[in-house]
Amino acid sequence: MSHPPDRGVSRRSFLKGSAIAGIATTGLTAAAEAAELHRPPSELGPGEHEITLSINGKARLVKVETRTTLLDALRDRLDLTGAKKICDRGACGGCTVLVDDLPVNSCLMLAVDAVGCELRTVEGLADPADPKATHPLVQNFVACDALQCGFCTPGMVMSSLSCLERRGTPTEAQMRHDLSGNLCRCGTYGRVMEAIERTAKGEGGGR
Amino acid sequence: MSTRNRDTGAPREQVEIPREQVEITVGYRALPGKDQQDRLEKITVEPTEGDAPPWDANTPYKVVGSDLDRVDGFAKATGRAKYAYDQNFPDLQQAMILRAPIARGTLTALDLDEARRMPGVTAVVALKDVGNKVRFVGDAIAAVAAPTLDLARDAIEKIRADYDQEEHNVEYLMSGDAPLLSMGGEVDDEWPADDDIDALLAKATHSHSGTYRTEVQTHSSLETHGNVARFDQKHLDVWSSTQATFGVRGELARALRQRGVDVESVEVHSEYVGGGFGSKFSAGIEGLACCLLAHEAQKPVKLMLDRFEEHTTAGNRPSALMQVRGALDENGRITVWDWRSFGGCGFNGSGGAVRHPSAYLGKAKVRQSHKDIACDTDPARSMRAPGYPQGWFGAELFLDELAAKAGLDPLALRLKNDDEAMRLDQWKFGAERFGWAEARAKQNEPGARYLTGAGLASARWGQLGNHGGRNPHGITCRIHNDGSVESRSGAQDIGTGLKTVLTMLTAEELGIAPARVRATTGHTSDPSGPGSGGSTTTPSLAPAVRHAAYLAAQKLVALVADHLGVPLDEVRCSAGKVGTDKAQLSWTDACKLIGQNPIEAHGERFPNYKQDPFHRGVCGAQFAEVRVDSWTGEVQVTRMFGIQDCGLVIAKKLAESQVLGAMIQGVSYALHEQRIMDQRSGRMLNGDFLRYKITGTKDLPALDCYLHSVANGHDNTGAAGLGEPPSTASAAAIGNAVFHAIGAPVRHLPLTPDKVLAALQKAQRTPR
Ligand code: FES
Ligand code: FES
Repeated sequence: MSHPPDRGVSRRSFLKGSAIAGIATTGLTAAAEAAELHRPPSELGPGEHEITLSINGKARLVKVETRTTLLDALRDRLDLTGAKKICDRGACGGCTVLVDDLPVNSCLMLAVDAVGCELRTVEGLADPADPKATHPLVQNFVACDALQCGFCTPGMVMSSLSCLERRGTPTEAQMRHDLSGNLCRCGTYGRVMEAIERTAKGEGGGR
Repeated sequence: MSTRNRDTGAPREQVEIPREQVEITVGYRALPGKDQQDRLEKITVEPTEGDAPPWDANTPYKVVGSDLDRVDGFAKATGRAKYAYDQNFPDLQQAMILRAPIARGTLTALDLDEARRMPGVTAVVALKDVGNKVRFVGDAIAAVAAPTLDLARDAIEKIRADYDQEEHNVEYLMSGDAPLLSMGGEVDDEWPADDDIDALLAKATHSHSGTYRTEVQTHSSLETHGNVARFDQKHLDVWSSTQATFGVRGELARALRQRGVDVESVEVHSEYVGGGFGSKFSAGIEGLACCLLAHEAQKPVKLMLDRFEEHTTAGNRPSALMQVRGALDENGRITVWDWRSFGGCGFNGSGGAVRHPSAYLGKAKVRQSHKDIACDTDPARSMRAPGYPQGWFGAELFLDELAAKAGLDPLALRLKNDDEAMRLDQWKFGAERFGWAEARAKQNEPGARYLTGAGLASARWGQLGNHGGRNPHGITCRIHNDGSVESRSGAQDIGTGLKTVLTMLTAEELGIAPARVRATTGHTSDPSGPGSGGSTTTPSLAPAVRHAAYLAAQKLVALVADHLGVPLDEVRCSAGKVGTDKAQLSWTDACKLIGQNPIEAHGERFPNYKQDPFHRGVCGAQFAEVRVDSWTGEVQVTRMFGIQDCGLVIAKKLAESQVLGAMIQGVSYALHEQRIMDQRSGRMLNGDFLRYKITGTKDLPALDCYLHSVANGHDNTGAAGLGEPPSTASAAAIGNAVFHAIGAPVRHLPLTPDKVLAALQKAQRTPR
């Protein structure tokens, strides 16, 4: 038998088919909206081309192919490796970044679709040179030990941040809902929710 | 192996030197609650000469046991921690593996030329030769490196591989080696005759028999397996997502030389690891492929598995089939325990062994047998307490069924049979804390939609630390003249908190604030440590951490004694000072006496004390409450409580995290996790996170745990690891709670709605 050239679906066909699968997680609706608003010029590609992304308030030039996901652009081309690639299919939330203030699974969004959006990544929540600038949510993650291996943590932090920003003082049910797209194999969920609660109460200092 | 690392020394010689004897107090103070008492005793131990003096139950700790934050928490929570997956280098190539689409057969042709010719492709290597066997879907065939993953994927699609396909079987129960099952799911094979057992069963007051099953669970570490490899002439650096840095170093050096790669030294780096749970001891074929590609490309290469590969080629907890017969006498003691189990393994037919709680069986006639059954899938790997959660589920549920027959409360049955003196205290404490009696007394209204129930199970793990045998573990401690201190281990911190443990123990030993200590883990240029398996990392390294700090302190003490002109043996490091009661220097001033070169000490992990410790291994108990929707069959775990013997609790917050995390994983194993194979294609049907379910926030119970600190007298520190111990009990406790809730046992994990509804029907409480 001959092995057909098949390693699962291609990125293009996958992105077409994934909208339904992704709706269940918090991010995709936002991704879809963002994509609606910022259609890239139609003549991009094939091959690489340069785009400008606004990340944590700074304009960053980056070369991508049309098929490059936002996650790959951040991680592989801008060395912003806070967002993690865990499933690459919108199922785990490890790659969560905020796109125009909404949490998005960046593995499900094309980099070219993020042009014109305000992107926020976990790296923007702290400045190692200035500990006082650390976001209280981050401090509460540490204080509550809401992390073990830490691999899911950047995604958890970003989903938690969005939960706080949108809801102010979220109820437990709201936290459970907003974090339901984030998986953690080490089992930190309870402490993540504690960290959100503490932040909502104004604990954790910082800005 | 000649590597660039500083060697940790030859095997120590066995010279008998008369040793000093030290009396220490071991055991624990009374647990809170009714009828609890101190369990302290004095034992005499003989520490190896030069070792740090033993800590015991009376040691006044300043740092150890405190609430210190995880020292690398900030790096992790801000995304600055660099895992293997996050390593970026100029000109880094991304790599991918071509996987076999058949479960069994032979590779008959492999054409890599077209892939090689593709623009951008920097390396292509064959991982199988024509004529090699393919053993499972996902077996590695070839690998490609290119500047981006998209290009690597394009190139993979250009590889032509042909196979001679053979018939396969991916369902172990369909194997000719498997026992026959009855329609009701019972093992149908006759039990081999045994006069004693048959007689005991025949005359028993209450006897019972049942067959229990569990399904394949994948480790599902969130960071997939993989590496970044970079050659510098004949030196190789590998950033690895591993739980055994030294194992990977040796494995890669050997495998590369076998492949004719001239490599003089290998250094492995694993400062941060995104979980392992037992699956990441070996560099694996993906590690070798990464290095071969890097060698061919002469550029750094990253090869991380994708999620499907992770589920299907990187190990799993095998499934189990267990049948038990047992009986009680009129006093509720177990008289006979007849157990046979079968493990559903991968193609190599190993790793399926199942353990059961032997502490209940002290008075029983026990027979047990086990058989591993091979099928054409990815081989099993150790997973967090290998064999325990499976066996505990079967055994503890069997016991609850037996107790129900005998009209006994499950806790009463445990109290009558448990031989672990410590756990008797834990049962009582846990039952009180959890509200066991009330939870069991709650009656479900007849016809109610939601049924609640409570269950419990024991936790047990037998292993503590070791000294590393022929390669004794070590730790480096450095004190710098600016007052900062380093504690370094080449072993890895896979999320358990090793860096925090190094920090706290060093600070305690030196009498300084933890903030002065910087812990580094995961570079094989530092002293060796164990692979993180069997909960051995912390207990194996803790005594060496102390020893290193103890030796470094002695050097500092000598400088200070000289400087102050006071007797050497009166100088101590404590409370941020170095000196005697009368004359002292602050830590900072004392360190100024150190020259340009820091004080450096190599701490050794000496063998455990020869004397019997207070307790071998650790034990615990867990309690669970569930709510079952009798209309849909959905199980919700509403709350859980666990008490866990932790040896010496070093980093309290982290230890709690680990215990709670194990319970969450237990919920996941109990309710959701199962690999589903397609018998036709031999392929896993749910090899992703959309269809392979793990617990998330919506099914998170209210969780609580109690860390039971026990001075075990094992070595100078008496630490225990917490990866496995709490993992043994959770699924069993949940299974028992479901039995209590619906009045019928669900003997097959995971406890999915179909099985729960079927059991409910059987219990003749037909849902509306
Ligand atoms: S990596 Fe994007 S959701 Fe999992
Ligand atoms: S902390 Fe390890 S996966 Fe969440």
